[in-house]
Amino acid sequence: MPCRLTPLIRRAVLSKGRHRQSRRLFATHSNNDEWDIVIVGGGPNGLALASALVASQPIRESLRIALVEAADLDKVRQWTPDSDTYSNRVSSITNASKDFMQKIGCWTHVDRHRTNPIAEMQVWDGVSDSRITFSASDMKHQVNAEIDGVKAIAHMTENLNIQCGLLRNLAERGAVSIIDKVKVSQIVREQKEGGGWPLVHTSDGRVLRTRLLVGADGFNSPVRAYAGIESFGWSYDTRAIVATLFHPPRGLGLHVPNTTAYQRFLPTGPIAFLPLTSTASSLVWSTKPDLAEAISKSDPAVLATMVNAAFRLPEISMRHLHHFLLGETATIDALLEEVRWRERSHDIDPHSAYSTFTSTSQDGIPPGDYDSIPPIVTSIQPGSIASFPIRFNHAESYIGESDEGARTALIGDAAHTIHPLAGQGLNMGLADADALAACVHNAVVLGNDIGSRTALIPYARARYFENHKLLAATDKLHKLYSTTLGPVVWARSVGLEVVNELDSVKEALMMSAGGNSSSSYDPSPANRSNAGDSLWPMAARGVEVLSGTFDTAKLVGKGLGGLAASNVTKLLSSYAKR
Amino acid sequence: MRLQGTSKHCALVIAGVRRSRRPLPQHPRHSSTSTINADEISHFSRLSSQWWDERGEFALLHKMNPVRVQFVRGKLLEAARDDAVSGHEELEIERNDNAGRTLDGLDVLDVGCGGGLLSESLSRLGARTVGVDASASNIAIASMHASLDPWFSNATPSSSTPQRKYLEYRHASAEDLVQEPKRFDVVCSMEVLEHVDNPAGFLRSCAELVKPGGHLFLSTISRTPLSYLLTIFAAEQALRLVAPGTHTYNKFVKPSELVDFFCKPVSSSESKPWITRLYDGSPTRREAEVRGIVYVPWKGEWMLAPRGAPGATACNYLFWVRKPLDC
Repeated sequence: MPCRLTPLIRRAVLSKGRHRQSRRLFATHSNNDEWDIVIVGGGPNGLALASALVASQPIRESLRIALVEAADLDKVRQWTPDSDTYSNRVSSITNASKDFMQKIGCWTHVDRHRTNPIAEMQVWDGVSDSRITFSASDMKHQVNAEIDGVKAIAHMTENLNIQCGLLRNLAERGAVSIIDKVKVSQIVREQKEGGGWPLVHTSDGRVLRTRLLVGADGFNSPVRAYAGIESFGWSYDTRAIVATLFHPPRGLGLHVPNTTAYQRFLPTGPIAFLPLTSTASSLVWSTKPDLAEAISKSDPAVLATMVNAAFRLPEISMRHLHHFLLGETATIDALLEEVRWRERSHDIDPHSAYSTFTSTSQDGIPPGDYDSIPPIVTSIQPGSIASFPIRFNHAESYIGESDEGARTALIGDAAHTIHPLAGQGLNMGLADADALAACVHNAVVLGNDIGSRTALIPYARARYFENHKLLAATDKLHKLYSTTLGPVVWARSVGLEVVNELDSVKEALMMSAGGNSSSSYDPSPANRSNAGDSLWPMAARGVEVLSGTFDTAKLVGKGLGGLAASNVTKLLSSYAKR
Repeated sequence: MRLQGTSKHCALVIAGVRRSRRPLPQHPRHSSTSTINADEISHFSRLSSQWWDERGEFALLHKMNPVRVQFVRGKLLEAARDDAVSGHEELEIERNDNAGRTLDGLDVLDVGCGGGLLSESLSRLGARTVGVDASASNIAIASMHASLDPWFSNATPSSSTPQRKYLEYRHASAEDLVQEPKRFDVVCSMEVLEHVDNPAGFLRSCAELVKPGGHLFLSTISRTPLSYLLTIFAAEQALRLVAPGTHTYNKFVKPSELVDFFCKPVSSSESKPWITRLYDGSPTRREAEVRGIVYVPWKGEWMLAPRGAPGATACNYLFWVRKPLDC
């Protein structure tokens, strides 16, 4: 229920004689639209912040909130997808994120038929094949992981589903003015003695003067530029290919639910298979830009074949297929022939799940190892193949530090861009929205100016380090798995297997990928659960062990030989004993 | 003339501070008829342009403000609930509080408002707030800052303007206001008492401005070795977090001295004291309360110490006392 406000010219009403001379009267404001919060960006993060804000009664009753979005949000509101096609932009919603959406009242507006629980995750090393399995049943501390009797690590759903649910929730609350199909043309600082407020100029000629300006406006955030907040980061030499995959039901006649996510770390980048329904799943494949480009230009059958191979063939064959695909003769038939030849030469049993060619021909009886890899992809949803560059990026601050950047805050991708391998991008943005809304709530209750640095600092304090840990851990994992150097592969494989043995560390790693769900919605910080906090250091430690072995193993590779190797062994075995 | 400064570092709380108390000085230390100290006024006038720099001279005060409001809000809610004669009234209190209008309809005076940090907050919570300060430049800064905020502007409310809050600043002293008929539900004077010349006279003026049944809130610094160490030696001299000369040790006031002051009738026109009983030196919850307020450097924030925390009132503290309905 967007409410459109026309600019009103307000007339100054001079007070009459009832004011004594010694009293100061405050100047009237110009004809700007006056707002308490303007959120730039109507993606899931911006909408989640708006929803979280108006879920608080003091905020709802006292603040005027606007959200500006360049796109037409009616299209999202009226989202009526075909029941058997899926958007290629999907996210894994952790239990913490799901609880947050429940708390702000939007989870009920999410189309539940288009969410799918992940009950298990299998992650393995593309070079050594050592593997970790995360299962929802290992989650001892999760109180709220169950929906409809299914215990889940996380839920897969399309970003559009989240966005639509948030918009419906906002329409029901009606307390946020959504200004869509309007671009932000310019943000300037009002020139006033004592510190001007941000003025947001829009493409339809309005000027929104705001107490607090929130940038939920993505990687190239105009709000971040206005606030003068530097960000640091780099592009990985990697692109992520996304697509919607169709496949037969898992386990064929056994009708095993499609609730396992698979991820294989290849030296070119991780490939992930994320279940959406019993016969559809989503692909996120981080790989070299030239390969991503070649695949995007090819017949979709080429991608299907490559995906099947990427979960099955040994790494050395994947390297050859990579070169093959970049060569002149890369037709689908030639590719299939190449894969067939490689399966034979690797001695892959044609009746095992690791064969691309025979699994589907079986009648109702799956191969015994069917659950260790994803089902065979038979086709790709037309038009669903896309790719995007992968970046690491972190703003120096989440709130404007200088006078020029006063009264600004950043959330989501405007603040941080993460490698998709841990599936945490959207979850981090939702956690930002949660923390910022709680911070605004506390300021309102104490009569504080919500745009002031004093009011906003708790937000930065709550999120900056948390996000940084996740960004750094993900970055390290990417780099750790980008090598085929023998000692590193050996060490990281031992690392993974050690992790698999240690229940507590495993659980911590799972928290990082699946989130914790114990935080109850209570806007007051004192009552916010810290369960996630205590688990994080454990997850971080797990990654440290991995990256530590990486560094040590690099030394080994450089010729320090057996001495260092025995130290690694000692290190790892002592860790295992602990 | 609110005094800034407020001891920046009160994190260390030491129990068992020397207990010596003296009556509040009854006579001006200087031969002036008001309680205002001219040196103090000029000190703060010089600093006035920095009032709203949240990372500058007054950074610690900005951080302290939410905690002061928390105390005021909590105490007023507690008293309102105690007073409520019906469930309906209680509901009304809850409703206003839930809507962020906890102080709706109260007449509130902020004596020594400085740049208006507290006045703005109280006004946002719905109070009809008057801020007074003996420094004209403070009033100018406070007014200018409020003029930036549409909540305090005097434009006609309309669908595109925010709700209007009442906030008024005057260059005046508490003694000036006593001469006028207007009295207030709540009088606050935060970080002021340690800067006036005649604290007993100043308190009498503040007390006089409170309506019967109304509330007086003070915050100040106790006179202990700890407070000297933190507010003067550390904050002013060693760390220069606060402008040197902001505080004078012998002007600090102990909580027990404030309590003693209100155990006697405040003025000759009042027949009974505001505090009628003490238990082990402490007043009852419905008459008065002393709460320590402690800076926690590693968190970078102030904290309201729990009631009765040992040693917590040895440096910065908040004081609340209620005027009897029939005094």
